[in-house]
Amino acid sequence: MNWFQRLSKTVRMERELDAELRFHFETLVAAKIQAGLTEDEARRAARLEFGGDEQVKEDCRESRGTLWLVSIVQDLRFGARILAKSTAFSVTAIVVLALGIGVCTLAFSLYNIAVLKLLPVRDPATVVSIQRRSPENITPGIPYASIAYYRDHAKSLSAVMETMHGAPLVLNQDERRVSATFVSSNYFSELGAAAATGRLFDAAHDDAASAPVCVLSFRLWQRQFDGDPTIVGKSIRLGGKPATVIGVAAESFASLGADDPDLWLPILQHPYFVEGSKPLADPNFDGLIKMWGRLAPGVSRTGAEQELLSLTNQLRKTYPSVIWDHEYIVITPGAHFLSLEGGPPILPFVALLVFLILAIACANLSGLLLARGAGRQREIQLRFDLGARKVRVFRQLLTENLLLGLLGSIAALPLSYAVLRLVLVYSNAPAWMSALPDWRVFLFTTAMGFVAALLFGLLPTLRMVRRKKNRSLWHQFVVCAQVGASCALLILSGLLVRATLHTLYSDPGFAYEQVLSIDPGMNEHGFASAQATAYLDQLQNRLRPIPGVISVSIVRIPPLVNDMVMNTSIDVAGRSILIYPNWVSPEFFQTMQIPLLRGRTFRNGEKDAVILSQSLARKRWPSEDPIGKQWEKSNLVVVGVVGNTRAMELNNTDATEIYYPPAADNIPEMSVLVRAAGDPKTLTPALKAIAGSIDSGLRPTITPLTAGFRKNVAQAEQFATIISLLGGIAIFLAVVGLLGLVSFAVAQRTKEISIRLALGANRIEIFTAVLRRFAWPVLLGLGAGLAITGGFSQILRRVLYGISGLDPISYAGAVTILVAILVAAALLPIRRALQLDIARILQSE
Amino acid sequence: MPSSPKFELPQGTLDLLILRVAALGPIHGYAIAQRIQVISKEALQIKQGSLYPALHRLENKKLLVAEWGPTETGREAKFYRLTAKGRTQLQTETESWERLSEIVSMILQHPLGEPS
Repeated sequence: MNWFQRLSKTVRMERELDAELRFHFETLVAAKIQAGLTEDEARRAARLEFGGDEQVKEDCRESRGTLWLVSIVQDLRFGARILAKSTAFSVTAIVVLALGIGVCTLAFSLYNIAVLKLLPVRDPATVVSIQRRSPENITPGIPYASIAYYRDHAKSLSAVMETMHGAPLVLNQDERRVSATFVSSNYFSELGAAAATGRLFDAAHDDAASAPVCVLSFRLWQRQFDGDPTIVGKSIRLGGKPATVIGVAAESFASLGADDPDLWLPILQHPYFVEGSKPLADPNFDGLIKMWGRLAPGVSRTGAEQELLSLTNQLRKTYPSVIWDHEYIVITPGAHFLSLEGGPPILPFVALLVFLILAIACANLSGLLLARGAGRQREIQLRFDLGARKVRVFRQLLTENLLLGLLGSIAALPLSYAVLRLVLVYSNAPAWMSALPDWRVFLFTTAMGFVAALLFGLLPTLRMVRRKKNRSLWHQFVVCAQVGASCALLILSGLLVRATLHTLYSDPGFAYEQVLSIDPGMNEHGFASAQATAYLDQLQNRLRPIPGVISVSIVRIPPLVNDMVMNTSIDVAGRSILIYPNWVSPEFFQTMQIPLLRGRTFRNGEKDAVILSQSLARKRWPSEDPIGKQWEKSNLVVVGVVGNTRAMELNNTDATEIYYPPAADNIPEMSVLVRAAGDPKTLTPALKAIAGSIDSGLRPTITPLTAGFRKNVAQAEQFATIISLLGGIAIFLAVVGLLGLVSFAVAQRTKEISIRLALGANRIEIFTAVLRRFAWPVLLGLGAGLAITGGFSQILRRVLYGISGLDPISYAGAVTILVAILVAAALLPIRRALQLDIARILQSE
Repeated sequence: MPSSPKFELPQGTLDLLILRVAALGPIHGYAIAQRIQVISKEALQIKQGSLYPALHRLENKKLLVAEWGPTETGREAKFYRLTAKGRTQLQTETESWERLSEIVSMILQHPLGEPS
């Protein structure tokens, strides 16, 4: 029998043991009655002879090897009693653990929802995302012509779906735009989606010429149409084009690819909604259409990849310019909210931070446990004196720790659930995302409880069992680790908050308050360069005479309002310089009020000139005059130097900028910037009327730059709030821990302190004497914390735009705060010790 | 009951005695204690507190197997029986015990005061 079988038979064996001993007892009684005793006398005599029934059983269990099971129940019961008796300790410990484990659970829950969980679609395991790669290229999309070819020829895929995220569209006459995703007609049926009302797309919408239709999201239906039950069959206008609503997707519908649009349109009707659009017609158009598939039964992802690769090689004959050299197909699981493949390495960073918090929580708790251990010394001594073995006592204490750890896990679950719900609601998460923990979260949280129990409990428990009374190295180590970890977290919080503040309150280098951006959206509508130039010229000419308009210019990437940011880099003396390029008309610097420091701005129609920001000019030619220099092996000549801005990334002060004149091929992407004399909002109606009247096919978007700035600031503020909250938790944990440690130190030296006080010692002297014990470990911990953060500063550099990873203020601030907290935490128990009733303590010893 | 002098059985000796008694055929715990008491002419009284843990230990080591069955009085009792492994164990234990007691008595019978 192995132990597991024994375990499963424990109940039966208990019963048998009982029967066996009872048989013995009864036989003994019977023998005594036969020898002439009355039954009562016989029983009494037998009981005396028999000895402790329970003791015999316990010994039998032990010799059989099932003792541990029974005794764990005993230990648990005893542990629960002990914890219930010292409520203050237990509550503090559980709160500390709930915080530490809760943060881990929260992080894991988010990871679980985003990456591990399968989307609630039909047969999610066979849904795959299909992308193309080559050694030189990565794009998320596949040209439509290739998708069509794969769809028609691939046998390893039972279905192929397409999605394309479209530009926001004007809904009816509303100011707010709605986001639309164009999908293949089988998208909903293949994912097993249900309609809240009406119906979803089907094969009838596979015809580009069929009547234009759309499916609303549940959210848009509620928000915009107040859940109108008669919405089906109604006509709405999207980007000025009429379309019939055929249905509303169910609230719980989960889109593929972390996409949560306001409505869906059939992909074949893309040319109707976006006039002159290219993605379907032009095989060279790449990067917008995502391909999804469903693996045929019994086909593996590798198998499908191989088949698609051979199809790709056939496709190359038809479209040699479309297929890359050495192109291959990568198939990844598709039914996840996020795919981590190729993403930024954020996971280890978050995991480290979260584990640090758990480690701090545990280090603090072990301090408290230590202080308590000093108080329990007498109880444990008593148990040893009564003959308990070391292993048995050790296991009892370990069980107590495990119980605490599990209670911490239990408390952590509702905590992380509440925070996660807030996060989901606040971030407008899709309805299918549930904050309720699933089995993975339960498993993780339970495991964290065990890990925590080992982290906080093992060393203090060993100490208690070994009955060491001297100050051990371990104690110093706890202080050291504690201070180090808190220090690292505080510095990190400080750095992040400072970086955020820096973003908020420093001069961006340009004046955005009175500027409006007009994006005509010519590119989406397939404007050619000449057509776009004509439109822009006409628009600018009609805007300039409007009263209240100070300056008008055109720009490819309007600052603050664009989500897209371009960057490039050059090497100067072996160091890479990050550059944000932009394409602007000569008046741009006037419109944005960016000072011209040297040289001149562009001339109208000038093609071979560039303008640099001062930062770029200095980095490229540290000691020379840049004007007239040739720019990086091109025929472009530097004609001017302008002030630095943080136009492209508000929180990146390292950025350098280069400005090119508008080029023919990017004219259709241009936006118009308008500077107003007064409140720019008063100009909006006039601008709208003019922009719309020049070309009735376009739907220009007018956005004040302040809106973009506010959006940036709101994001930064949210980030700072979260980081401050984490920092706050770290400080709270540090206070609990240090309080425990100093209490322990004082508790151990109560007698000494009393004697000193009785002999008339100075209270300040005693105070410093106790504190001095912590001086070395604290200094060492501070050093370790500084070293850890300093070591990571190069990695941090990327997150901390504008602040050095070695920012002295953050470091000094963190150290000052920690030392202040340390002293405050030490004051409390020492103060208590100094007010002790000396006579009583000396008497009790 | 006459109080007999209390013997502390050397470690492992009880196991040997139990194996020896069980070698005679299936037997329950009470009878094992009785038989040892009778054979030793009341010199040895096996306490339940040591008998049953020893039985379970031997069962666990697969030197004994147990089976429930009726006694002569018709009650259900747990009968222990020697396994093949137990028989081998009994043999080796008996031999080593005999050797040990020979050696011990040899030394103890050595006349006092004589240099060895």
